[in-house]
Amino acid sequence: MNPVELAQTTLAAPQGDMSFFALFLQAHLVVKLVMLGLVLASIWCWAIIVDKWLLFTRTKRQMNRFETVFWSGQSLEELYRTLSGRANHSMAALFIAAMREWKRSHEGARPAIASLRQRIDRVMDVTIAREAERLEARLLVLATVGSAAPFIGLFGTVWGIMTSFQAIAASKNTNLAVVAPGIAEALLATALGLLAAIPAVIAYNKLSADAGKLSARMEGFADEFSAILSRQIDERS
Amino acid sequence: MRVGLIASTAGHLAVLLWGVISFPDAKPFDIGPVDTLPVDLVPVSELTRLRIGEKTAEVREVEATRPTEKPVEEPKAEEKPAQTEAKRPNQAVPEPTPAPAPEPTPAPERPTPEPPAPQPEPPAPQPEPPAPRAEPEPAPAPTPEPEKKVAETPPPPTVRPRSKPTPPPQPRREQPRENFNPNEIAALLNKVEPAGGSSSNSTQPASLGSRLGQSGVTMSQSEIDALRGQISRCWNPPAGAAGAGDLTVKLKFSLTIGGEIDSEPSVINSSSNPTFGIAAESARRAVLRCAPYSLPAAKYDAWRDVEIEFDPRELLGG
Repeated sequence: MNPVELAQTTLAAPQGDMSFFALFLQAHLVVKLVMLGLVLASIWCWAIIVDKWLLFTRTKRQMNRFETVFWSGQSLEELYRTLSGRANHSMAALFIAAMREWKRSHEGARPAIASLRQRIDRVMDVTIAREAERLEARLLVLATVGSAAPFIGLFGTVWGIMTSFQAIAASKNTNLAVVAPGIAEALLATALGLLAAIPAVIAYNKLSADAGKLSARMEGFADEFSAILSRQIDERS
Repeated sequence: MRVGLIASTAGHLAVLLWGVISFPDAKPFDIGPVDTLPVDLVPVSELTRLRIGEKTAEVREVEATRPTEKPVEEPKAEEKPAQTEAKRPNQAVPEPTPAPAPEPTPAPERPTPEPPAPQPEPPAPQPEPPAPRAEPEPAPAPTPEPEKKVAETPPPPTVRPRSKPTPPPQPRREQPRENFNPNEIAALLNKVEPAGGSSSNSTQPASLGSRLGQSGVTMSQSEIDALRGQISRCWNPPAGAAGAGDLTVKLKFSLTIGGEIDSEPSVINSSSNPTFGIAAESARRAVLRCAPYSLPAAKYDAWRDVEIEFDPRELLGG
């Protein structure tokens, strides 16, 4: 065998199985766990992203629809009657909570109007907090994955490179062909970490900004509605 | 949440599937055929065998030596004008035309305190310049000339006062002025630094070689190692001595051609280590004990004077 052929066969030997699955299967157990964890984190992140995206678009649509109905000049009593039957979210929930407090205060022989305005504000604040919590739930998972996934991937890489150097030490051969598979599989861990982290960071920034906008809109509505109610209270007293 | 989870899982599976399909294997790099390189093994001694010369000299072709009978005279005739011109500006007086004749010999002596000797001469040679030209300096012509240039620069202060009072130089001077060629000013300037003592006897640039010039005889690495090995067999280094690092002993001694010790080995380095004395003594004993060394007699010049280093770390380790 002439040297050229020899060189080519020795070089060709290790590149037979460098596909993703082969890299994953020949990785060390720790690296495998890291990779699996990162893939699961990525799946979970994307699930949250899709879920939040759907929730935010739905919430925005509901808000728009409610605002058009609210400002259409329809009687608030009627609106309350139609809405109180079903499960409401966001602005509708705010409106229902405030109206329920208003109604309850006017029931009975002695209407408790003296501090009605404060009570309504309090009720609406609680509702806003609850709604904001619902909007922002699980966004922290995205933040955590975005900051931690690269480190986890890096850990897998370091571990893989460590084992491949141990392989060098064991085989007493510094040929690149000995090291290359180990390093390739190790780098796969970093790649997965980045793959999970990048969308998570971007989505977290986007979604938390959206959630902030939605709750700001709810607060604005609450202020307006409380102004309307307090005018009513002052007119009646 | 369920919708999101399902969508996410499906997306990941799709990406994974796409990865499996479109990146099945790493592509091998194309490696062109590698040419074989011829390799020669060259013994070190071939490279380390040095001749006398300058280490910085260029490697150049040297002409074969030629017979030096006729050709010597011709260059002399050409060089003469340049030579006399070079002289005039420096030393006004002593040379009439005859200059060439007396010069070769007195030149080196000029700095020494007996210049009167050449002085009286000028009148005599004056009438007969053509004759001495051909006769007195047949062979030495090319060599003494650079010498003169070297030797002449220092004297001017001493020679000048003496020459000035004499009138003859004045007419002399005019002659060279006619010959004076402004293009040759560079040739008149003497750029050679005054050298003490005699100058080298070759006008050729130095050849490549070592300055010491070990007459071409060198010990090859293996022969030096052989001597080292013979000595180290007899050496018991001070075992366990603290700080074996400082205990390197350098010995110098000379050998007879039969390999016997000629001069008592002497220690030529020193150390602050308190056990250095013991180590040095053990090294000396080792050299004396193994006395007749077998070394190639043909290279006796190279190993007559030996300087050898005893490093306990090397010997203890090996």
